[in-house]
Amino acid sequence: MKNTSRKTDVYWNPITETLPLEQLQELQIKKFKRILKWAYEKSKFHRKLYQEAGLKPGDIKTLEDVAKVPKVEKAMMRDIQRKDPFPYGDALCVPLEEVTEFRQTSGTTGLPVYQPDTWQDWEWWSECWSYILYSQGYRKTDRVFLPFGYNIFVAFWAGHYAAEKIGCEVIPGGVLDTEARILKIQELRATAMMATPTYVLGMADTARKKLGIDPPRDLTIRKITCAGEPGASIPATKKRMEEAWGAKVYDHVGATEIGAWGYECEEQPGGLHINEAMFLVQLEDIETGEIIEEPGRKGKIIITALDRIAQPCIRFDSKDVAEWATDPCPCGRTFRIIRGGVVGRADDITKIKGVLIAPSAIEEVVRSVKGLSNEFEVVVTKKGDLDDITLKIELLPEEEKNRETVLTQLKDQLRLKTNLGYNIEIHPFNSLPRYEVKAKRFKDLRKHE
Amino acid sequence: MDRRQIGKIDTRIKVIKKAAQELKALSRRVPAVDRNAARILASVKMLEINISDVKDLL
Repeated sequence: MKNTSRKTDVYWNPITETLPLEQLQELQIKKFKRILKWAYEKSKFHRKLYQEAGLKPGDIKTLEDVAKVPKVEKAMMRDIQRKDPFPYGDALCVPLEEVTEFRQTSGTTGLPVYQPDTWQDWEWWSECWSYILYSQGYRKTDRVFLPFGYNIFVAFWAGHYAAEKIGCEVIPGGVLDTEARILKIQELRATAMMATPTYVLGMADTARKKLGIDPPRDLTIRKITCAGEPGASIPATKKRMEEAWGAKVYDHVGATEIGAWGYECEEQPGGLHINEAMFLVQLEDIETGEIIEEPGRKGKIIITALDRIAQPCIRFDSKDVAEWATDPCPCGRTFRIIRGGVVGRADDITKIKGVLIAPSAIEEVVRSVKGLSNEFEVVVTKKGDLDDITLKIELLPEEEKNRETVLTQLKDQLRLKTNLGYNIEIHPFNSLPRYEVKAKRFKDLRKHE
Repeated sequence: MDRRQIGKIDTRIKVIKKAAQELKALSRRVPAVDRNAARILASVKMLEINISDVKDLL
């Protein structure tokens, strides 16, 4: 595949990132067989899972055979970890003393899942992130600021180590509060930053309102890598972030139990490349379970981390939903693209008034309407037998005079893009919840009724 | 980068791996050597992922 962009030196590994598709698939099946054999031999949980399915590692010969391997879900991991041996149960594939890193999932979908990693797995994490950051232009000349808590969630830990690996200067902004972080960015002239979209917008807001700092004019951040929420792949949210900072904003996708598997390159092709040298991603039709190869059809992401050894991630049902893009990227990478990134979660995509909708579709509309603040909330309830959807918004103070125009535009766009009618509630500016790191703006109360 | 150069890199990776494994085997009473050799081997694995795994497919 040709690199048709004007840029050279864009690949962390030009060999794997431009491998022809046929050879990439050969690599994937070779590595899948290897990790499957590893898990079968080293872990009672995996061996039992495969034996109950009547499967031995040698049965898997082609990529088509991979679909025969039973899937693993998060709930299974929770169950395993409640049993001995403490603390990881029998999915662990290395002696406990080889585990050097403990992290856990955020617990938003249930009890947190523990994630053990060996030092080799930890190097692997930073290797995955090196592919990401290098593709986004991070180089030795960058001074990278990390405004995150350096805590029990994997978050940007591997981003820190990858930036170091690339040769950047890394500034850990852990303990500082938001204002102190902004001032440190200014003081040290940091050129790049990593944060959740919610925090990116929040920092810009704080900079302007509390410090009188205009990020595009007064700060030197020119690239931002996002993680943790879909925002950077939602065009309107990306645009807001880029305008707020005067910087390019790039998305990436990963998970504690999977790894950092997808990324937006400098070309910003309207989707995320999958690191297909290190991950095997299959899209599965949500209803039929059929593997989807063609673009334009949404499916659930079933993913294998091909080199992760302590607690392997093999055919993990991520519950994320995506579709393949049609066009290759000008960057020349043969790594396929999921169009628009992760477009929703299978357990978030829901039917409201008979219409299938992902929360990200509503975010795209709200954030594209000029005159509305960054915050909003969606509440779905039932009134008798009928679904009812309320959208809570804030008008920017300076847009009060344009209230009717803004509302009309919002309603029209919502109808056009989501095919639904909403009760719209306008709340006073600054009254809706503000989130520090990750937002919870979509509340489906029907589940609790 | 052509296949020959990749082959050369892979050969060097194998040399480093062998040396680190030997270091580890010799280092039982010197944790400083044992643990640093373990880290070298982890980095070698990253070189293998990037080069050795792909070499025979080119």
